[in-house]
Amino acid sequence: MNKWYIEKGDQGDVVLSTRIRLARNLEAYPFPGRLDVQSKKKVCAEIRDAALSDGSNTFRWIDMASLTPSQAVSLAERHLISPEFTTDREGRALLLTEDESVSIMLCEEDHIRLQVMQAGLALERAYDIADKIDTMLDQRLQYAFDERIGYLTQCPTNLGTAMRASVMLHLPALDATGRISSLAATVSKLGLVIRGAYGEGSSARGSIYQISNQITLGITEQAAIDNLRAITLQIVSQERAAQEQLLKSEAEIDKIWRARGVLSSARLLSADEFMTLVSLVRMGAARQIFNLSLEKLNELIVRMQPATINAASGQNLPPAKRDAIRAEAVRTALLTQGDDTQ
Amino acid sequence: MLCQNCGKREATTHIKRVVNGETSESHLCAECAASLGYADVFSGFGMSFGDLLGGFLSDTAAPQTQIASGNRCGKCGSSWNDIVRAGKVGCADCYRTFYDRLVPTLQRIHGRIRHTGKTSGSAGTHAPVREKTEEELREEKIEMLKKKMSEAVAEQDFETAAKLRDEIRALEA
Repeated sequence: MNKWYIEKGDQGDVVLSTRIRLARNLEAYPFPGRLDVQSKKKVCAEIRDAALSDGSNTFRWIDMASLTPSQAVSLAERHLISPEFTTDREGRALLLTEDESVSIMLCEEDHIRLQVMQAGLALERAYDIADKIDTMLDQRLQYAFDERIGYLTQCPTNLGTAMRASVMLHLPALDATGRISSLAATVSKLGLVIRGAYGEGSSARGSIYQISNQITLGITEQAAIDNLRAITLQIVSQERAAQEQLLKSEAEIDKIWRARGVLSSARLLSADEFMTLVSLVRMGAARQIFNLSLEKLNELIVRMQPATINAASGQNLPPAKRDAIRAEAVRTALLTQGDDTQ
Repeated sequence: MLCQNCGKREATTHIKRVVNGETSESHLCAECAASLGYADVFSGFGMSFGDLLGGFLSDTAAPQTQIASGNRCGKCGSSWNDIVRAGKVGCADCYRTFYDRLVPTLQRIHGRIRHTGKTSGSAGTHAPVREKTEEELREEKIEMLKKKMSEAVAEQDFETAAKLRDEIRALEA
């Protein structure tokens, strides 16, 4: 079965993916921060039984403590779990569908962190899937809920709908023209937050950013999604305009071709260099300077992260070895995609 | 000191975690810290969120809170001070126990304090809330009386406090 991230998505030139995350807790147990390992295991088992008793979703059960550090970090690199979930893995578990579009973290900050990923801009579809699974679990478990303040979560910043909707955006031109920080200031006034998807801070690796709703109490799921979609579409059109503008320059076009040249022939590629170059190449593909499949590039970005390479090789590789493997995989991927327009 | 994760580079990031009262420390190099999600914990992500929230909450910890700080959540035992310190709420019941004190914080975080949107059990087939046992009812009553007693003590109304104390003793017997 294809992983969700190699599917073609709406607004795919700028929007890599959409994610909906719901936080839920069981009424009968204190929040995970106040549970010992034994109780966490009990909570995990209870939720697992509820999730598996419904035949419509086939989840794979992963005991987090059974993974190697690389395997765990690889899950975070694929955005299936949070980075925090890789650190303290005893008493934590993950339920994952085969196409990796639905993952349920158990005993992360909350008992249940249900997450649905879709390619491109697909907020409604992602919410619809999350909502159905949530309702199914609600029928089998006793959720912690209060009519006044909604779903009860360990951190009061998630109260209410306890829903975080986010989209991952590739914004190389807005980044190159130094407009991300003003964008961040603007969206924060609209109840949204923007941050680097790989690495923190303003200089996101590969110019990949994540934008999500910040307010969860007193706003319906629908309103939060509508707000995020409207603003995402505006950013998308700004990014497209900035790319068109940027690529009027011969020097910028040259940069993109050179980046493609290096990726097609390098024998060693560090993660940082790869991200910088693939970002340029992706912009070239998005503006059809050459014919490269965006989905393939998206997949490559996911597959070439350090721990994911380690996990695929089944061993903890030294960085130099990893760089060689990365370079070879990137070369192969670019070579097998022929059909240049030039 | 070398990084505990890769064992190669110098450890520059020192992480101290307190989980269920148990302290654990880890020492990581910048690269491993970043890949494990500890990069720049002060940038408004992860751990710092708790600190931020602690700040939010402690603002509302006005003088009267100090007096009543002996109050604890009947289910998980968290006090208001525990919640402020951790920036995290202990359990679902904490929200009910400390609801009035949390409202100003919620107002500040979300701008609103009333949930709209999906409700739990909306599918209609939700398991009915199980009735409380006599034992639970008794414990709840004791908890409520204790709360009243400490309020009475705080107001130096010792006569009421003494009456409440006798009631509690009778129930606990």
